Amino acid sequence: MGVRFPSVGFFEALRSRMTVARDRFSRLGFFDTTFGVRVGNGTTPNEFSLTFEVFDCTAVREGVRQSEVDFVIEGPAAAWREMLDNIHALGAADTTHSLNTLTHFGEHLRLCYDDPDGHDKMYRFAESIQAFFDLSAEVDFDYADSTRPPGRATAAERRVGA
Amino acid sequence: MAYYADRDFFADDKLIEFFNQIMAGNLDLSWYPADGERPQARPAQRQRGLTYADCNLGAYGYDAIPEFLRNRYSMAARGSQLVPGLPDLGYSINRKSDVWSDNVAALYEESKARRWAPAVDIGWNELAAQADELHESAMAQAATLLQEVSLVALEAPSRWVFYINQEFLELKSFLCAQMIDEARHIEAWRKRALVSGQGLGRASVAAEQALKELLSAETYPEASLGTNLLLGSFSLAMYRALAAVATTPADRRLATLSMQDVARSVAYGTGQVRYHLAHQPHKVVALSDYLDRTEHTVIGIAGSPEFLEPLILLAAGSRERGALARGSAFARRWFETAIGDYLERCERSGLAGRRGRSKLAHLVGTLST
Amino acid sequence: MSYLSTIDFAEDKDFVDRFQRTMKGDLDLSWLDAPREKIRCTPLNPRRGLTFRDLDVAPYGYTAMPEVIRGNRGFAPRGAAEPDGLPDLQAEVSRKSEVWAYNIEGYYEEAMSRQWNATTDLPWDDMINANLPEPIGKAYAQLLTFLTEVEMIATDVPAKWLGRLNADFFEVKNFIATQAMDEARHAEVFRKRALTTGYGLMRASAHNEHNLKFLRDADSFAESSLTLHLQAEGMVLTLFRFSEYIAPTEADKKMFRLVMQDEARHVGYGMQHLKWVIDHQPEKREQIHRHLDEAENFIFGAGYAVESMEPFIILSGKGLKKENIQQGLRITNNFQIKQSEEYFERLAKCGLPERRERSKLWKLVELAKQAAI
Repeated sequence: MGVRFPSVGFFEALRSRMTVARDRFSRLGFFDTTFGVRVGNGTTPNEFSLTFEVFDCTAVREGVRQSEVDFVIEGPAAAWREMLDNIHALGAADTTHSLNTLTHFGEHLRLCYDDPDGHDKMYRFAESIQAFFDLSAEVDFDYADSTRPPGRATAAERRVGA
Repeated sequence: MAYYADRDFFADDKLIEFFNQIMAGNLDLSWYPADGERPQARPAQRQRGLTYADCNLGAYGYDAIPEFLRNRYSMAARGSQLVPGLPDLGYSINRKSDVWSDNVAALYEESKARRWAPAVDIGWNELAAQADELHESAMAQAATLLQEVSLVALEAPSRWVFYINQEFLELKSFLCAQMIDEARHIEAWRKRALVSGQGLGRASVAAEQALKELLSAETYPEASLGTNLLLGSFSLAMYRALAAVATTPADRRLATLSMQDVARSVAYGTGQVRYHLAHQPHKVVALSDYLDRTEHTVIGIAGSPEFLEPLILLAAGSRERGALARGSAFARRWFETAIGDYLERCERSGLAGRRGRSKLAHLVGTLST
Repeated sequence: MSYLSTIDFAEDKDFVDRFQRTMKGDLDLSWLDAPREKIRCTPLNPRRGLTFRDLDVAPYGYTAMPEVIRGNRGFAPRGAAEPDGLPDLQAEVSRKSEVWAYNIEGYYEEAMSRQWNATTDLPWDDMINANLPEPIGKAYAQLLTFLTEVEMIATDVPAKWLGRLNADFFEVKNFIATQAMDEARHAEVFRKRALTTGYGLMRASAHNEHNLKFLRDADSFAESSLTLHLQAEGMVLTLFRFSEYIAPTEADKKMFRLVMQDEARHVGYGMQHLKWVIDHQPEKREQIHRHLDEAENFIFGAGYAVESMEPFIILSGKGLKKENIQQGLRITNNFQIKQSEEYFERLAKCGLPERRERSKLWKLVELAKQAAI
């Protein structure tokens, strides 16, 4: 049975997969940050805090306390969906859907932070953060409207898409 | 060569006698009773291994380094028993708050853990197959400029490490990490240019003039502020932009991995200014003055035609007029964002009021008119 | 007292105008027309990835580099078009044979692929729980104190020269950067190990520090490299091999094997550099010998440095009792003979076979051999 995005269950699923992919994450190096994910920009967005230490995701919590996170990645549900659909179809985000690209000018997803030091952790651990979200390609999940991300595209379909 | 031993040891009969005594089994053992502190360092987190933070114990730890180092001018390991006759190795940087940052030991550990090897960690075959001549020309030109920037970022720490007291071991180690990071960037971006099929681009007069000014900073705090916080902020922004406009996973990865490395230097630079001003608050005048006269250099680098025009082309995708309009809009936003991030870091590090003084902020204002 | 660029980029009207026009999409693009060789480098060995050797294609490669760099005085990447107006970096070394080494590109790539992490790549639990008997623990802590004291001389000295070399020698600069990192790692691992023995750090070594001061002081990069890479690190390499042999635990043996790999690379560079110098600047031979005369004076004087010699005796003899000391002396003696012999062998391989005749270091060898009788 799958999980729903966004939910604690979704991020717990990523956390489990990160444990399985430990070799990959340990090659990328120490990964020490707590950041928030905020989905939706209405009055009650869904918020989650993710803590990473050494090579693991050590905690997934509902809610974001600004003082406890280095930065928050926020954006409308549609933007998150587009990214996750892309990851699910291709196995990893393509260049137009990487977190750096989507947050670059804050047009799709945005970075919020109180402290520039915290902000800079997005860049210090950029490849690990991307690899973490890319794990969603392996997760069976649906969205709030019960629709699902697309299945894995074939190589031919990917070429056409390009 | 000007330093010679105080005697010709080959003619030192006392030495030969001493050596023969040892070899006959009459050990000296004067070192044996050394009775310094006896800590037991252990990893606080097993999976992290044994870090410098775990070794921050008593007299051995970096917390124990005094603000002023006097009578410690040799390479004797911090916390070891000093003996008469240790030489003065000529260190001229002996004040902790001139170099230290609270995050430097952690950043050193992070840099080791997050190392990468360009030869094998980038999909070069993927890049070698790229056929878009305009794209590859722009990338080769940007890569040429990034080699110039990386060379200065390599030479900056190497210039100072020789003069910094060995007591600041963790800081010197971080400087070594910066050196290998920037050597890696020189390597990676040279390889990127030469895999493009377009050869190297043109060296940049503007960027090199600006880089030489940064490199010739008179003091270590200014050098760190200039290369780590000022130049670092814009290097970080340049890598971010290249990752954002990348058309292949290999280019995205190359720019992202480079970005990670530079972000550590920025973190150190910000932390160093903060530490410096916390201990020498009167220096805010000197550092602010330094930025007043030096900030213009990043315009010469990030605003050089050898970087800016390739960036616009990469964002545009073609030379068609509408595409160039989009590309230049990207570049304007990018520059504005980079300056905003830089000014935020200045404020955070204790350089208050930078936004009001900065020529960069003024220049951004002119872009929209 | 600082270099000021020829214009203030925020105020120079021409620069600011061009910058603003560029930002509006009006591009100059003259860099597209800069003269260049359009070559495409690819990995010759896919398992090795794209290496500096793959980039050794004229006009960009190192083989095509002339002996004297007459052109590039700035930061220009080798082979890039150099317009007028580039600054002069005041490079002090622009002669290839001052710095070059056979296989420098290979050493660099090897260094980048063989970086290891003292924090995570050793079984610290095993070392912490080793419970060494006091004579062994103290001797080992003293050996580690000596090693952590001397390692970063090989960071400081090459780093001092790095910025003085012409930008065209970036393969050498890059190698120096890897060495700086290697040595920081060595100082780190030996310090950490000392702080896990339960004895902490022991005594500093005045005599060896004076040797470090000598290493800091050389008139040229070639002389500096000769004494640092070849003489000092060559002897340290033998020392690491010996330390691995006498190391008290398997984990410590692993530590010495790892540092040995790095050291061997540095010595390799030193040897290949000396070979290059002898091949291309034979007139330097006498200068090299004079520098080694004083270097060897310091080596001989290390007989006074009991804090580095006696730990070996105790560790190799496995204790302080008379029979342990006798055993330790035999083994340490052999090590010292081997250290000197290997030093002469390296010099002979590099084109200085006459060093053995000229050197007074044979005196040390003779003393050691007599003691062995």
